[in-house]
Amino acid sequence: MEEIRNKVEQLLLKTQKPARYIGGEHGSVVKDKSKVDVRFAFCFPDVYDVGMSHLGMKILYGLKNAVPNFWCERVFMPEKDFEALMRENDIPLYALESLDPIRDFDFIGFTLQYELSFTNVLEMLDLAGLPVYAKDRKGLMPIVVGGGPCVCNPEPIAAFFDLFILGEGEEVNLELMHLYERMKPHNPSKEEFLREAAKIEGIYVPQFYDVEYNEDGTVASITPNVPEAKPKIKKRVIPDFDHAYYPDSFVVPFTGIVHDRVVVEVLRGCIRGCRFCQAGFIYRPFREKNIDTIANETKTLCEQTGYEQVSLSSLSTSDHTKIIELLTRLSDYTDKENINLSLPSLRIDTMSKEIVDRLAAVRKSGLTFAPEAGTQRLRDVINKNITEEEIMRTCRLAFSEGYQAVKLYFMLGLPDETDEDIEGIADLAQKVVDLYYETPKNLRGKSVQVSVSCATFVPKPFTPFEFEPQATPEQIKHRQGHLLDCIKSKKIKISYHQMNVSILEGVLARGDRRLADTIYCAWKKGCTLDSWDEHFRFDLWQEAFEECHTDTAFYANRRRSYEEVAPWSHLDYLVSHEFFVRENKKAHEGKTTRNCAEGCSGCGIKKECGGVYCG
Amino acid sequence: MFTVAEMLQPKNQNLRLTKYEYRLVFEKTGRAKYISHLDLMRCFQRAFKRAGIPLWYTQGFNPHAYLMFPLALSLGTDSSVEILDIALTEQLPFDELRDKMNTSMPEGLRIVSAGEPVMKHTEIVFAEYEVDFSVKGQTGDETARCFSDFLSQEKIEVEKRSKKRGANLVDIKPHINLLSISSEGEYARVSLRLPAGSEFNLNTNVVFEAFEAFFGGRIDMIYTKRTKILTRSLENFI
Repeated sequence: MEEIRNKVEQLLLKTQKPARYIGGEHGSVVKDKSKVDVRFAFCFPDVYDVGMSHLGMKILYGLKNAVPNFWCERVFMPEKDFEALMRENDIPLYALESLDPIRDFDFIGFTLQYELSFTNVLEMLDLAGLPVYAKDRKGLMPIVVGGGPCVCNPEPIAAFFDLFILGEGEEVNLELMHLYERMKPHNPSKEEFLREAAKIEGIYVPQFYDVEYNEDGTVASITPNVPEAKPKIKKRVIPDFDHAYYPDSFVVPFTGIVHDRVVVEVLRGCIRGCRFCQAGFIYRPFREKNIDTIANETKTLCEQTGYEQVSLSSLSTSDHTKIIELLTRLSDYTDKENINLSLPSLRIDTMSKEIVDRLAAVRKSGLTFAPEAGTQRLRDVINKNITEEEIMRTCRLAFSEGYQAVKLYFMLGLPDETDEDIEGIADLAQKVVDLYYETPKNLRGKSVQVSVSCATFVPKPFTPFEFEPQATPEQIKHRQGHLLDCIKSKKIKISYHQMNVSILEGVLARGDRRLADTIYCAWKKGCTLDSWDEHFRFDLWQEAFEECHTDTAFYANRRRSYEEVAPWSHLDYLVSHEFFVRENKKAHEGKTTRNCAEGCSGCGIKKECGGVYCG
Repeated sequence: MFTVAEMLQPKNQNLRLTKYEYRLVFEKTGRAKYISHLDLMRCFQRAFKRAGIPLWYTQGFNPHAYLMFPLALSLGTDSSVEILDIALTEQLPFDELRDKMNTSMPEGLRIVSAGEPVMKHTEIVFAEYEVDFSVKGQTGDETARCFSDFLSQEKIEVEKRSKKRGANLVDIKPHINLLSISSEGEYARVSLRLPAGSEFNLNTNVVFEAFEAFFGGRIDMIYTKRTKILTRSLENFI
């Protein structure tokens, strides 16, 4: 540690925001190494500013460190400037609490939140001084594990990992570490350990499965090759979510990060079933915390951190069955303590006057809505059950309360999308502008700004759209151009996500094991920090596709039959294949599906998983 | 229904006009020395909140806690003589204020003492530093001698940038006061008194960059510590 610390300290002054690389923040956990039996390096494969904002890391960090002889530390991807300094000065990737090199840890865990962080995993393993391919890491430790939403199709990066954890980590992480603690004194081989680990529900060891391919390139079969490996690996769920572990302490960073505030998770899962949304399916069933639990967690964390802002986290906060009571209870506390309460993920159709009033805090900033599609027809296709009337009703209310900025989120390239749907986006934005001018002058704010943000739709596994072709770059370009042509008002601002990013996401999201070498090749060429515009090198990715003979259209732009064996078909996220097929057919018929609160639609999740509306 | 005018009321309705001012002396060492000046402000604010010490908020539409560092400390410099001025809405005994704060501070930050502000910020004129540094392939003795040579030049010109005049050359030689110089092993150690404060401020890194330019090499390791903050008559700033 001392050696790394001395070297690092001399380099910190040469880098941007050095406090990101030295640890020591309030709330960080430093233990006596001699009393620790299992060391876990929790890696977020992106820079500190992003990773420190991630709630899952805070939960699992607290959870593991609550066990006296386990020590979990944080590791982030260095920015390019510091990475270069680390390499020049032979500093291996180290953990922020002990400043020890992570190659000596028992576990190295990556949370895989988005496909564009895949190359960062390779970079971090390499910086740690480890071979990036799992097969080249012969010893028992470190065991490289992956978790998070991308693990629902980890096949493209399976070659770099020893095992994956499917679903919610609160229980299975500890089971895995306890297993290791029991086995370690007997010096097992890595394979011996992995075979035992594979018996734990929710743990997937990719090397224990053989994948065969058909002549047309599709997957023919995925078969276990050891008796411990189950034919289907089920994701883990915490049925009693109200009693699930939640940290009583956060690490409070020195430098500004993306979400620099207390975050309290109020519910998990989503009742809505928007057909494009992976999170809406892989986090099912819908479970919520009691108001008392939420209020206690809020108070505890505000006191421990000293933050002046608290945010409620969920996929759709207003779907909490007691939302008004919850907000009343929380704002009584936050108002008294001069703390700001913010509520992302409110759905437009449930925004009542009462909620808008509660939100009327210091300044009137902006409202954000995600209609996702421009016409009612297409919103029915994607099962985004919002009507134009509801959008208008909420905007009318907001404008008369003094709101001046409205953000509208849309997607381009949705299944069955036509030019008419694109025109619908422009119409909707224009109607919002008109609505502002209809609001009486004495009530409305000084001016109005409607920002339209268009992402490109990427079909994801475990959604009803997993069978759909992604729109081709030409189609997307055409639709972007068409939208621009349709905008008349200067009050409307249009922005797009980078199209090339979506193409890469499309390939990786539904890819198979053969992509590992392509990812390796792109990384070797210098692709890292792909999610950052300034670092994203699509030209290098294209070279990698070419050299590795990767047909991007095969992965992204091909319609897949319902019968095709998906690369992720050995993974079970509890929502049935039959449900996705049914939903896909309904989408093409333009038929919506009711949400869980209105009645069960038979997605396949069992009652035992603890869903509020299940069974 | 609100009207716009009603909504524009400041949020902290319970305005408290009485404020009690305190001057804290604090230590910034170890990992904490890489907290930037701006981040330090936020860091203290949260520490006060955690400690349950009621900061006084400025009165206005955008209320913020009153915290003031009269003299910035360069990133990476150790110190146990840093000053923070605060205002509270309640009176607290000095020792209690210090002890309460120290239960909620991150590693490397510690309140040394609390007291009443005596002097004005403008009375800060000098600061003293202790610097240990080494040059690869040289003994501490050689490095120290090289530093003496550096200081014995007639002029030490550095480029100074200001918003008004752009870049221009300034002779810093008359402003560097060498208090002592010695060596130990591969390290040279110097004590310097440099101008500080709002009128004219000279950071150690400017001096050592000029030193590197003088001998045409690179400093390998450098540890800087601020030891004193002084008035014109070389009294400790209190």
